[in-house]
Amino acid sequence: MMRILPPWLRSARVLGGLTIVVIISLCAVFAPLLAPHDPNEQDLIATFLPPVWAKGGQAAYLLGTDSLGRDVLSRLIYGARVAMMVAVLASFGAMMIGGTLAYIAGYFGGRIDSLIGRAVDVWMSFPPVIMSLILMVGLGVGLRNVILAIILVDWTRFCRVLRSEVLVVARKDYVAAARLVGFSHWRTVTREIVPATLPLLITLVSLEMGIAVIVEAILSFVGMSVSSNTPAWGQMIADARQYIYDSPWNLLFPILAIFFAVFGFNLLGDGLRRTLDVRLTATQRV
Amino acid sequence: MIATVFPLVGRRLLSSVAILLIVSMLLFVVLHVLPVDPAAMSLPPTATLADIEAMRREMGLDQPLPNQYMIWLAKVIQGDFGASIHFRRGVLGLVADTLPATVELAVLAMMIASALGIVGGLVLFHVRGSRKEPVVDFGSIMLLSIPEFLWSLFFILIFGVALHWLPFTGRLDPDLRVPAGTGFLLFDALMAGRLDIFFSAARHMILPSFALGIAFSPTIMRVLRSSLIDVYQEDYIHLARLRGLSERRILLGHALKNAILPTLSLMGVQFGFLFGGTLLVEVIYSYPGLGNLMVDAVRNADLPIIQAVGLAYCAVVLIINTVVDSLYMVLNPKLRLR
Repeated sequence: MMRILPPWLRSARVLGGLTIVVIISLCAVFAPLLAPHDPNEQDLIATFLPPVWAKGGQAAYLLGTDSLGRDVLSRLIYGARVAMMVAVLASFGAMMIGGTLAYIAGYFGGRIDSLIGRAVDVWMSFPPVIMSLILMVGLGVGLRNVILAIILVDWTRFCRVLRSEVLVVARKDYVAAARLVGFSHWRTVTREIVPATLPLLITLVSLEMGIAVIVEAILSFVGMSVSSNTPAWGQMIADARQYIYDSPWNLLFPILAIFFAVFGFNLLGDGLRRTLDVRLTATQRV
Repeated sequence: MIATVFPLVGRRLLSSVAILLIVSMLLFVVLHVLPVDPAAMSLPPTATLADIEAMRREMGLDQPLPNQYMIWLAKVIQGDFGASIHFRRGVLGLVADTLPATVELAVLAMMIASALGIVGGLVLFHVRGSRKEPVVDFGSIMLLSIPEFLWSLFFILIFGVALHWLPFTGRLDPDLRVPAGTGFLLFDALMAGRLDIFFSAARHMILPSFALGIAFSPTIMRVLRSSLIDVYQEDYIHLARLRGLSERRILLGHALKNAILPTLSLMGVQFGFLFGGTLLVEVIYSYPGLGNLMVDAVRNADLPIIQAVGLAYCAVVLIINTVVDSLYMVLNPKLRLR
């Protein structure tokens, strides 16, 4: 069975991570079909119900209800939409900006490299949470601006790591050969350098997706992300924290959802790093 | 040795000042494209349009942006960060009141993160190649996936709500009063000889500092492990083995000393992230530090505070990075020879 899979899929980490990510993605896409209730439907007679296996739980609300009697399971499933949307869009945006700058800096070197390096230094002196909060003040609340803020904060993660890799690859003989054959700069970078750094890029995207989920949760926790009628995990946490003695369950489930998602992305990223990196030896890779 | 390192440190310091200046410029631009009008907000609702106009002129808001920045910068250099719109108090005082609390929390958390990171790194290294490795490694990825704010909430659920072991709001028990002094509560309490205050403050800091420390330890663990693996390829390790030294002595006496350097330089970067991470932890534990001040200011669109607090965060991060880099230069014999 393992034989027919491509080599990069044969790692337990990659498979495990991918399974988690696929499950969450399916929840996000098919939320209306999977959720047993409307996530905003209130049942004020049945507030703070515990999950079904605890004393007083009802079969209609598998994971219980929140302070307004909304179904926690349905809100978790719908919350996956916000999380996945931010994860995908923000990480690709950050990759586009950070990656482009990294290729430019690493390939051309010299003054442009030191300029981009300075910009990264300036960005790195800002703790990411603080910078995204300040950007949210400037941009205004809302999901679109959360994505934009994450892109504007996290492009440095790509730029810093990728630049040093590009620096190594760009000095390789085959790159010089491509130039001698008459490849343009554009063609040399896209045909010779990008493919060589693709494994690293894919790994970084996977890790960044986990970071994006966390940042969105933080921002919706402090009330700067989606509006209150869109279910999001961070918002559920903020809500449940006010009623921590009435229903500790409500706090536990969104915490687990965020952990599960981030763990999936990290596992996938770590697995890809090991299997795609040609320089690691066979023993290191397993 | 000092003579060779000194110019390097000096250059590092100079570049930090330059970075801080650029950061202040960026901060100013980001916060001045806002749709809110700070002049209107700092006046009572009964103010007339003419009042607002006069206020705008007084605050320099009618000038072009570069001029506004220069005015602001000139004041900042003299120590005048303006007054909070919401609290109606000098911003410098507000920051000075809350900064020590945050630094105290961050330093404690960093100590916890370093201790856990070094022990964990040694464990990760120790199990390499054995059958336990996948399990321990899996555990470290799990740890890596839990950010500080999830730890904070989790600790509250377990140690606060379920077990009632530790307090999880504020900095002191409500019947105690904060002693006057530096603002570093643990230090001030000891200086005043008030052990009751010291223990109360310490109990209040256990959960937040552990939440932060645990969240930042896995990265240190993993870097220490991989630099130990690198160091073990070196000839002097083989030589030490040939000399008949015990594995324990090779690890603790020879390898760790060399592997700790890259870990140290990572810790500098990590401390920057950790210092930012205090924000959420403070909010969750209602800990009266810079983070809560910042979130209040953001909710009230209190620009003078946001500006000053943002700058304070950056300044602390830059100071830490400079100190760590300098330490690195002093400790690294390879840099001394140059």
